[in-house]
Amino acid sequence: MDQLSELVEELTTSGQGELNQEKMKEIKKLCKVSNDCIDHVYHSVISQLNQDHSEIRFSAFQIASELFSRSHHFRTLLVDNFQEFLELTVETDLDQPLPPPKEVAKKLKSLAIKTVHSWQTSYGSAYKKLALGYHFLKQVKKVDFQDAEARTVAERRREEERRSRLERIYKEKADAATKDMEDSCKEIEATLTEMESCMKLLFPEFELTNVKEDVPRSSSPNLQLANISDPQPCCSKDLVNGPNQEELVEKQATNEEHNRELGKELQNPDNTGKNEDDDEDEDDEDQESSEEDQPPNEDFIRSSGLISHSYSLDLNLSSGLHVKENEDNEAVVATVRDLHRLITTKHLPAVQGWIQVLTKAGAEQRLLRKALDLKKSLEAALQKHEELHIDYKTRVRKVMKASSDGDEDDDDDFDEVPEKEGYEPHIPEHLRAEYGTFSISYKYFTFCYSSSSEPSTSQSTSSDEKAKDAPVVPFGLDIYYWGQDQPTAGKIIKSASQHQFWVPVEMEEEVENKEMAAESRSRYISFPGRFTPVSHFCRAPLGNGKLCQRQDRVKCPFHGRIIPRDQDGKPCKAEDRQREEQEEMRRRQEQPDWRDPELMRDIEAATGQDLGSDRVGKKGKGKKKKFPNLSDLKQNANTSRSRLEKKVFNKSSMRRVAEVMIKADRRKHDKFSNQFNYALH
Amino acid sequence: MLGFLSSRRAGLDDPLRLRRAESTRRVLSLQLNPDRDVDRIHGNGINTIDIDVVEGRYMLSGGADGVIVIYDLENFTGKTQYTCKAICTVGRSNRHVHKFSVETVQWYPYDTGMFVSSSFDKTMKIWDTETLKPAEIFEFETNVYSHHLSPIARKHSLIAGLISTRSLMCANWHKDNVFISVLSADSKVKVWDVRRATGSLFTLDQHNGDKSKASTEAANTAHNGRANGLCFTGDGLYLLTTGTDDRMRLWNSASGENTLVNYGKVCNESRKRLQFCVSKGCSPEFVFVPCGSSVAVYTLHTGEMVTMLRGHYNNVDCCEFHPDYQELYSGGKDCNILAWVPVLRPPDEEEEEADTKQKASDSSTNQLGGNA
Repeated sequence: MDQLSELVEELTTSGQGELNQEKMKEIKKLCKVSNDCIDHVYHSVISQLNQDHSEIRFSAFQIASELFSRSHHFRTLLVDNFQEFLELTVETDLDQPLPPPKEVAKKLKSLAIKTVHSWQTSYGSAYKKLALGYHFLKQVKKVDFQDAEARTVAERRREEERRSRLERIYKEKADAATKDMEDSCKEIEATLTEMESCMKLLFPEFELTNVKEDVPRSSSPNLQLANISDPQPCCSKDLVNGPNQEELVEKQATNEEHNRELGKELQNPDNTGKNEDDDEDEDDEDQESSEEDQPPNEDFIRSSGLISHSYSLDLNLSSGLHVKENEDNEAVVATVRDLHRLITTKHLPAVQGWIQVLTKAGAEQRLLRKALDLKKSLEAALQKHEELHIDYKTRVRKVMKASSDGDEDDDDDFDEVPEKEGYEPHIPEHLRAEYGTFSISYKYFTFCYSSSSEPSTSQSTSSDEKAKDAPVVPFGLDIYYWGQDQPTAGKIIKSASQHQFWVPVEMEEEVENKEMAAESRSRYISFPGRFTPVSHFCRAPLGNGKLCQRQDRVKCPFHGRIIPRDQDGKPCKAEDRQREEQEEMRRRQEQPDWRDPELMRDIEAATGQDLGSDRVGKKGKGKKKKFPNLSDLKQNANTSRSRLEKKVFNKSSMRRVAEVMIKADRRKHDKFSNQFNYALH
Repeated sequence: MLGFLSSRRAGLDDPLRLRRAESTRRVLSLQLNPDRDVDRIHGNGINTIDIDVVEGRYMLSGGADGVIVIYDLENFTGKTQYTCKAICTVGRSNRHVHKFSVETVQWYPYDTGMFVSSSFDKTMKIWDTETLKPAEIFEFETNVYSHHLSPIARKHSLIAGLISTRSLMCANWHKDNVFISVLSADSKVKVWDVRRATGSLFTLDQHNGDKSKASTEAANTAHNGRANGLCFTGDGLYLLTTGTDDRMRLWNSASGENTLVNYGKVCNESRKRLQFCVSKGCSPEFVFVPCGSSVAVYTLHTGEMVTMLRGHYNNVDCCEFHPDYQELYSGGKDCNILAWVPVLRPPDEEEEEADTKQKASDSSTNQLGGNA
């Protein structure tokens, strides 16, 4: 008997989705002995079904269903108590929902419904209550036995409602997105065209697609251009004539040796800035020479720059397109950057949002396609921008300098800071320092003066150096009355009553308040001190051989006051060392050496006797979990919120707070109880 | 059994003794039987059932959706398996159907040609069974919780209709007399004489007038909660009441005295009338009380619980005892009417254990006879 209940408990607390077949076999074997055994198993299964843990219930249900198909006696027992059985497994009573964990509960319910269905088909006619239970589930609880998820009608309806609500929300969102799209579509397109034209300005032949089309057209069939897709060499001429020739930095690793003749033609644009004149000359020469040399293939030469068809031209066009910013193209680059920012921060996220909404809502194909097109073109524009490798650095630095000098107005500064688009300027160290002092000096400046002393303004005017150090303080009353002697300051004038016959007690009409007088010529500036980050570590030796890496200012919560330690974590000072040794001794005494769990385990392993090593070392760390295989229900509750709740709502703290509040109340009451307004509250 | 038969044959025993003994045995062996089914017609909870007194053949049931069904209980097929067929139905499609839940149905005591139903649609209807049309409709200002036809009234056919406001739950006619007892929601039970309208005869008091035990409010109350069930015993000598304080009490119907029988906790969550019944012709008599999702069986005078009949999957609202066959019919919120049928004695047992059984039953019947 004991063995049976043990087996059942082991099976149910395994936490597995499947039963252990061997144990199950053993149970069946034991059950064959007599009906009493079956009774016993039945009762232990029912008691396990009553546990508030779905995993236990799930396993217990599996045992029950195994035995149900084997034993008539078990069937009669179970069917006699079928109401409770259904309550515990199918959740027929809404006041007793299935216990957590949720997923297992769901699994249990669907399995139970399936099983009841199969039982009904095989045993329904013989066991009346089984049939009744089945009909109850079917007709009253409206369980659909075909439904895979085994939901009741209410659940299904709820699900449907939820879906329709979601749909409605999506539809609204989609409508809003459509409207939004229509509104800003033009804007986006305008942005795109602007970007396009800016890029064209920066790099006229950057339009790769056009070039690709051009080249094959111009080339005759026997032309052996090894690298047709590289249009760069053809551009050189245009580049020279182009408006922004200087900013084009082309890295052309060109040329095999044999086209050295063409060397003058394929300019390395790095030089272009220096010898513009030369270029022009060469251009002229080129044209002349080409006209002279190859009259029949004029077109070819003009477009390709090759003199002979037999040349094979190998061009390794690296990714290194570079556009450098300078005075000439500053405006264009600025525009490009603005546009880039506009696209990345506004348009692209918006378009992505639309696409998300539209796909979720299952909106019209047309709209979706439009959104996708927009996204594609935006991304293409960004890609192009990327390829240009525009060098913003000079400009950015200029902006930084300007702001640090204080020339630039705040707006620009404000624009600069929140952007984090990858090319956010790196603030150099010295500038950063400058920034820091700038703000700090503004905030934490202590400043006081006495009216008798000479006004500091005169001092500051006397020397420029001092003026630099002079602090900036916000305008206040003290400055307003700077150096003036105010006769009325700090005087409270009480007007005499104007009443006809109601005359107050005689009193001074003028009261002088020293504090107020002082207030008008002094200023309180709080100086909380400067935050200095902690640079030292606790460095107490840890159990794993490392040193404690906590950086507390004064005291480590684990190792106490932070003291200077050497490399091994030993205290440098003798007294500290002594203290620590004493503590260690005390700890040893509390738990004798031989109780060391590891040592004990070793001894146990050697001798095979239980010395109780499991119990040692677990002290204070809570009880050992009874069934380690089951998922822990309490663990879910261990959230920051619950921990806080434990702290905040525990009795002693509540009492403490209540006491303080009562005290505060009482104080108020003592003070104001004679005034009805306060007395009431 | 055999001993009873032989002594009956020899004329040693009163014929009643055999009958009592056998019917008691049958009541004690009531069980949910796969051989007996009742057609599932109701799509909603069943509030009330009634078996006709004349033939004991037809059963009325009233559902929470206003539907009334008449079943044939008699098994003429010759097989043990029998499903009680619904002969006719006052369904939702019927023009005269009750709009709301039917609270009570009752056959006319002398004929199955007529029955009376009362409902939450503020009407009480008297139906012609043949045509299923109401012969008379009484309309009231408030919900009708219950009504009862006088079982002996040949001449006047008075109906104790509970034209009740919310407070009155249940009324029953006494078997031989002209008394009615009325339950009210404020936990009082009063006994009236129909011939005197000026005031009630007496009010049942759970403490029998012992003032020391009762708090001031509890004086003259039958229950501490609301009283919602009322039933006379078959001989009319006793009156049973149930209340929401989970108690059942047995009163002497002549004096109104609490007999102080302790039935223990009789679970009672119903907010409406609870229809329960007392067996007839057994010794001792048994009470069948719906109790949650099962029907509890108590002995009437000792208050001992005999068994719990578990079979419903939801609350049981009503039960009715068939006096001729010792069968019990119960209806509940799970739309089922269940028939509890005595188990036949298994044939193989008789030869082996006949002697011991006989002795046992002999001794028990002797006691019973002494009681009777």
